[in-house]
Amino acid sequence: MQAVTDSHRSTDNSRDCWPLLLLMNLWCYSLLLLWTLCGILVFPFAFAVCLLFTRRSADRLVRWFIWLYGRGWMLLMRPFVQFRREQLEQIEVGKPYLFVINHLSFFDTYCMAMLPVHDVTFAVRSWPFRMFWYSGFMRLARYLDVEGSSWDETLSNCRCAFVAGGTVLFFPEGHRSRDGQLQRFYSGGFKAAISTGVPLVPLCIDGTDRLLPPGRKLLRPCRITLRALPPIDTSAFDSADGHLRLRKLVKEQMGVALAEIRGEIN
Amino acid sequence: MTEQDVIELIDASLAEEFELDRADMTPEANIYADLGLDSLDTVDMVIVLEGAFDFKIREEEAIRAIRTLGDIHRFVYAKVVENS
Repeated sequence: MQAVTDSHRSTDNSRDCWPLLLLMNLWCYSLLLLWTLCGILVFPFAFAVCLLFTRRSADRLVRWFIWLYGRGWMLLMRPFVQFRREQLEQIEVGKPYLFVINHLSFFDTYCMAMLPVHDVTFAVRSWPFRMFWYSGFMRLARYLDVEGSSWDETLSNCRCAFVAGGTVLFFPEGHRSRDGQLQRFYSGGFKAAISTGVPLVPLCIDGTDRLLPPGRKLLRPCRITLRALPPIDTSAFDSADGHLRLRKLVKEQMGVALAEIRGEIN
Repeated sequence: MTEQDVIELIDASLAEEFELDRADMTPEANIYADLGLDSLDTVDMVIVLEGAFDFKIREEEAIRAIRTLGDIHRFVYAKVVENS
């Protein structure tokens, strides 16, 4: 019944006003295209200048540009989308964290510009690397292809990111949810957090499945909420089955938090 | 423990750990293509089976050859018989 309710929540467009939808889609898609093209054209020059005059490494700089691109996307979506941050003050800027987040929509990654930290290395499957207009940036930013790399490579790249004071973000479900409910969690992110000894921060996102659910192209007005749960000290999970316990704990916490955000429980 | 008991315990443990649909858990099901497990999951699978049957199998070479749920059933049942 819950799944039916949530499926209804994400696909019901009977309340939407069609002229508004038309306006939103014309506005958002055209500006997104323009913003992306501008980004692609301006990036090489801006990147070269920043590389010369700042002391940031190239990959860190690219991640900062991607975060800025996300901020720009938020700005252009703002007439139709309300962004709400909850409890993000728990995230200390400059401290290494491993984030895990539920996955509802293509635009979840854009919403990571809501985070107070801009040095976020995404750990993703292989298919996003096949989007030719993004793949070059993803490789420059040293995003992790968890499907196309060995586990040792992934772990080593996570360590590099943390040593530099950055953060790594995993989507433990691996795919976008079709009904808004949390799907099965894979272990990679939890194992990586325990192996590298960094705190794990569960993030919960809601509303992007209304903005653009999987399989749809029509954008709809919505409110997007991003909530951070308290960081979890992973040193308490350093046993053979520690990552399994951590995974279960985090999934339980995220399930409760998402139900709260959606008003299903108080 | 009968072979059926072993199969039931394996299926129940894996279904709970990996949130698998019992209807998909046929002996012919490929653990990667049909059940959606990945390489890290196979390590977890060993931990889960060790916990469920109270034996150690992580050093066993035969685990690497496992492809289907039926392979797991046969492998674990053989270990249970060997240990009893």
